[in-house]
Amino acid sequence: MNPLEPRRALVREKIQENRETYSLTLSLADHDHFSYRPGQFNMLGLPGMGEAPFSFSSLHLERGRFTHTIREAGSLTRSICQLAAGDILSIRGPYGNEWPLEKAKGRHLIIVGGGIGIAPLRPVIRHALGNGEEYGRLYFLLGARTEDDLLFREEFEKLTAGRDGTLLMTVDRGEKKELSHIREGLVTALLDEIDVDPEESITFTCGPELMMRFVARQLIQMGQDPYDIFVSMERRMKCGIAHCGHCQIGAMYVCKDGPIFPYGDIKRFADTML
Amino acid sequence: MSTGYILANDAFRDWLNILRNEFTVIGPVLKKRGPIVFEEIQDAGDLHLDYCSTMLGPRKFIYPPTQRLFRIDNQNHRVTTIEPADAGNAVIFAVRPCDMQAISVLDRTFLGDIEDFYYRKLREETLTVVLNCNRACDAGFCESMGAGPFLRLEDGYDLEMTSMGENYLIEIGSRRGEGLIEKAVHRKEAASGDYETKDDLQRKAIASFTKHLETAGLPELLMRNLDHPVYRETAEARCLGCTNCTMVCPTCYCYDIEDDMSFDLTVTERRRHWDSCQELHFARVHGGNFRSSREARLRQFVTHKLATWVEQYGCFGCVGCGRCMTWCPTGIDLTEMAKRIQQDFETGRARWWAYS
Repeated sequence: MNPLEPRRALVREKIQENRETYSLTLSLADHDHFSYRPGQFNMLGLPGMGEAPFSFSSLHLERGRFTHTIREAGSLTRSICQLAAGDILSIRGPYGNEWPLEKAKGRHLIIVGGGIGIAPLRPVIRHALGNGEEYGRLYFLLGARTEDDLLFREEFEKLTAGRDGTLLMTVDRGEKKELSHIREGLVTALLDEIDVDPEESITFTCGPELMMRFVARQLIQMGQDPYDIFVSMERRMKCGIAHCGHCQIGAMYVCKDGPIFPYGDIKRFADTML
Repeated sequence: MSTGYILANDAFRDWLNILRNEFTVIGPVLKKRGPIVFEEIQDAGDLHLDYCSTMLGPRKFIYPPTQRLFRIDNQNHRVTTIEPADAGNAVIFAVRPCDMQAISVLDRTFLGDIEDFYYRKLREETLTVVLNCNRACDAGFCESMGAGPFLRLEDGYDLEMTSMGENYLIEIGSRRGEGLIEKAVHRKEAASGDYETKDDLQRKAIASFTKHLETAGLPELLMRNLDHPVYRETAEARCLGCTNCTMVCPTCYCYDIEDDMSFDLTVTERRRHWDSCQELHFARVHGGNFRSSREARLRQFVTHKLATWVEQYGCFGCVGCGRCMTWCPTGIDLTEMAKRIQQDFETGRARWWAYS
């Protein structure tokens, strides 16, 4: 067994989410066994372009299919986003740990996402809304640069309509003044609207590290335990199996020990913005 | 006590030449302009056993600087693994105890929860014969790091040699090592006096060290002083960012993966090569770089080798071979940086409370 050897995946469907983000639904080309948990990631690649990590934006396998939501940022992501249904790409994984949904049971769940960081949170948002009885109150606080960047907005609006989950959204720059439920400003401002005891809550957050820094610090000020705040980290990765060394944060390998860490555990190291 | 054999110097040379019929025999060779390099020997006389340290350790035979991984058909993405170039049952002679320790440290990365296919193959096909150090080398502090001057490992090597003047004491580390020594024609079993001589030599070797590093409490101290000015001062005044330290370090394992496409665009060859945390690109992601300063990169090197490695693998990432400071163009010495923080702690200028 060679863990660096990629398998082949088929693009089944591609949806454009906004001007630079696409959701690609994939399945393994050779009917290989595959399963994953929300929060984990795959190394997706193309020959000549190399590989990079992408987390799952789908909750679970549906007819053997799963989804990655990818923003065009560099040459590999641009090439992947140009693929069409029927095209092949290479895949290794799944790697990494999962969102600690077990730990969240019986408690309030605060989910804070920023920009493309909303994608890895989508499976837990869907899971929480589908299993509302397992949790206390649900808060989904999402921020992005513009309304166009608020990924899965309509889906989340539909899913939360008439349910217990509170969906609050904010953008750096508002475009349409009449959309009163989308605020202008920083996602941290939405934390003020949480009316449950942070000590009885679990937070999952993913987004720019600076955003997660201010989210975590504010929640800690509000009384939340730093070990009840879970951050999903991003680092350069080449292998996904804790060999190539790139993703290390102090003693942690983001690929193997993460990508999801208790804030209190990862913050003790240097070279983060947490 | 393990079974040991005594080989007179002549018998040792004969043995090497016998082994050369069956194995690729690798060892330290004195090159024309002075450097000593690990390479295949053509004759037992090529072996230069009286050496301190080489620029690159024997790591390069087990984890080569560049390795071809896969051939990928660009059309259908079919992947073929490229087997590591056959080591041809190599025997590496005169591996210093620090370098042997370093290979066992690398094992913890590449043969841990997930095994690297290529490393596993070369490690298995390569036999290692350790040569104990009868005296400390100038930059070495392996004694402090628990890696020398005599072999400290229980396993993971094949034979252990000690030079005792007119002859060698050769002790068995593995079944395969036993197979090697059985090919020596004029061997005789070691007597208790030989082991006493070895102990004597070891005591003398330990006493010959001039360089020491106190490692008790060091990981905790370094992690509590991540913002100590020694990193910034050393980085700004002396670090050229050349990556020599990480290229010569026998425990460095980081690699980058690169795709190379054929001219007719039909085939991609995927390769890996040693990478360095001292390179600017190492921690770069889209939109930023988590170690954009030389200070951060230097601190990564020092704290990884002397602190976080312990949390990751239960051992230091430094074996005290002294290569990083020997080959640093400005002589940056990680023990001096660690000692500066230790001294500042003694005098109350470094923290012993949690970093935040």
